[in-house]
Amino acid sequence: MQPVVQNNKGTSQVTTVTGKAEARRRLQPGRSGGLRKIWEHRADYAYVLPAIAVMLIVIAYPIYYTIELSFFKTPPGLQLRDKSFIGFDNYTAILTSEVFWKVTLNTLIWTIASTFFSFVLGFAAALALHREFVGRGVLRAILIIPWVISAVAASYIWKWIYHSDFGIIGAVLVGLGLADRPPNFIDNVSTVLPSLIVVNIWREFPFAMIMMMAGLQTVPDQLLRAAEVDGANAWQRFWHVTFPHLSNVSTVTILLLAVANFNSFIIPWIMTGGGPSNASHIWITHIYELAFGRQRWGVASAYSVLLFLMLMMLGYFYVRALAGNERKEGGA
Amino acid sequence: MSTIVETAPRGPTRRRMRVDGWRWAGRIFLVFMLLYTALPMIWMLLTSIKSGFAAMQFPPQWWPEEPTLASYQKLLDPQNSVGQDFLRFFWNSLYVSTATTILSVIVAVPAAYAFSRFRFPGRNFLFFTVLLRNMFPAVIFLVPLFILMRAIGLVNTHGSLILTYLTFGLPLAIWLLKGFYDNIPVQLEQAARIDGATRFQAFILIVMPLSTPGIIATAIYSFIGAWNEYIYAYTFLSKNEQLTLPVGIQRFFSENTTDFPGLMAASFMMSVPVVVLFLVLQRYFVRALTEGAVKH
Repeated sequence: MQPVVQNNKGTSQVTTVTGKAEARRRLQPGRSGGLRKIWEHRADYAYVLPAIAVMLIVIAYPIYYTIELSFFKTPPGLQLRDKSFIGFDNYTAILTSEVFWKVTLNTLIWTIASTFFSFVLGFAAALALHREFVGRGVLRAILIIPWVISAVAASYIWKWIYHSDFGIIGAVLVGLGLADRPPNFIDNVSTVLPSLIVVNIWREFPFAMIMMMAGLQTVPDQLLRAAEVDGANAWQRFWHVTFPHLSNVSTVTILLLAVANFNSFIIPWIMTGGGPSNASHIWITHIYELAFGRQRWGVASAYSVLLFLMLMMLGYFYVRALAGNERKEGGA
Repeated sequence: MSTIVETAPRGPTRRRMRVDGWRWAGRIFLVFMLLYTALPMIWMLLTSIKSGFAAMQFPPQWWPEEPTLASYQKLLDPQNSVGQDFLRFFWNSLYVSTATTILSVIVAVPAAYAFSRFRFPGRNFLFFTVLLRNMFPAVIFLVPLFILMRAIGLVNTHGSLILTYLTFGLPLAIWLLKGFYDNIPVQLEQAARIDGATRFQAFILIVMPLSTPGIIATAIYSFIGAWNEYIYAYTFLSKNEQLTLPVGIQRFFSENTTDFPGLMAASFMMSVPVVVLFLVLQRYFVRALTEGAVKH
């Protein structure tokens, strides 16, 4: 019962099929009614039901509620019975405010810089760790630790490192004669965002490293050796053999990093709370402050909806990348 | 001079030189990454064994002159109020994370198996829905979830956290496990079923043992995610005795802003369980990523 099936593309292949129902469907293609199909597969749904049920409660309802709330003027406190419908006013208020554009720019810088450097550093570390050498396991373990520890702990550690009076970086700079007195990294409008990005990269690059390490193991050794025999140097082997093999993993990693960075909250929130004068506010911290700080639930919801739309665009690529493997199987 | 430069690197020597160049670049890079990664953590440890007075000096004591464990004693002493709070936060975190982990595995395993093996209508749609959850930040769900939790009476309970953590751990868990099941040959199950096992038996006896690394990886992922989560705990819990570690520490140290040794000691102890757990089980995690997420 391992049917070799001609699929639509006309390529014959062995499908990974177990279910009887599946076999039946495969053997008689064509337009059997959707409902009947669902009925035939009724047992299959039992497996996914718990996951879907939890998702529905915690996702579908909030999304609906957020969209609804974004069209209302809401009183402070969560006395939402007193809300009144105001159409798109929340949206126009956001798009015409200066803070919005400032925060959007911050978010772009934050997301792109964090993602780029995390990926490059993580990829480079994975390549450097790919070769066997003494102490490789220990080194790999140490490099992963920042990713495992809590972002709250990381934020406090770096806050202490950046401390304007007793921070170690400031002390080193003064000790080397590079500064007269310890620079103020996170209370300074121009340095705060880069300083926080350094912290974020510190926490994020290990993820890229793990993913790329896993990817590197799938590159066939024979190909690399063949290339070497043909006289390809290290760079050429990397560029023409290793890298093309990793394009899929790279895409997935970059997207996962981009999504995670876009959604960051803890590091800016704990380290600066978005200050000074919004210089380190990104979308998420700004929304949080609007909702729970200033209790402007309607505006915060409208922000969330805008965020949602942007994420949907990103999500299109995300799903395509993650599902890329799925499509290649040819089934489904 | 120029003749030496021209003649020396030629033939096989030249190739080896190139390779060595890359290797050295790699080594130097790794040293740099090691410093970047480890120095902040070392500084955390060094600060945590200083007295409050010794930490607030300029220039700093690079090495603590009078190392003391006072901060740790204070945090772990059930007699004083700081220690009581800290141990309670620790226990709360442990309870919430463990419950989340167990539930995640129970929910993710069958779902991932179904997504891998069955071809039911709507399968792709549901799978993408599950994946999409990962895209959305906690903040979007915060207000409505808070209202929802209030309506079903879960605000200020650990149940609200467990339910929420469950959902954001699930997408990656399902995705990882699905990749894992995709790589377990279907023939193994078929053989078992020909021998008279039911699908459920085949699953429990054949598939589960083979997917243990995937399940362990999923469990680690859920545990670490729940242990480190901050924003929901910060919003849903207001009673001091229910706080989890990240929020508890934040609240405590926003009142005692200058106790950096204490803060570093607390950060260190908060990190120990997840780091140990991860280091012990990391090979499963890397393997699960390799076999589950990457190799297809």
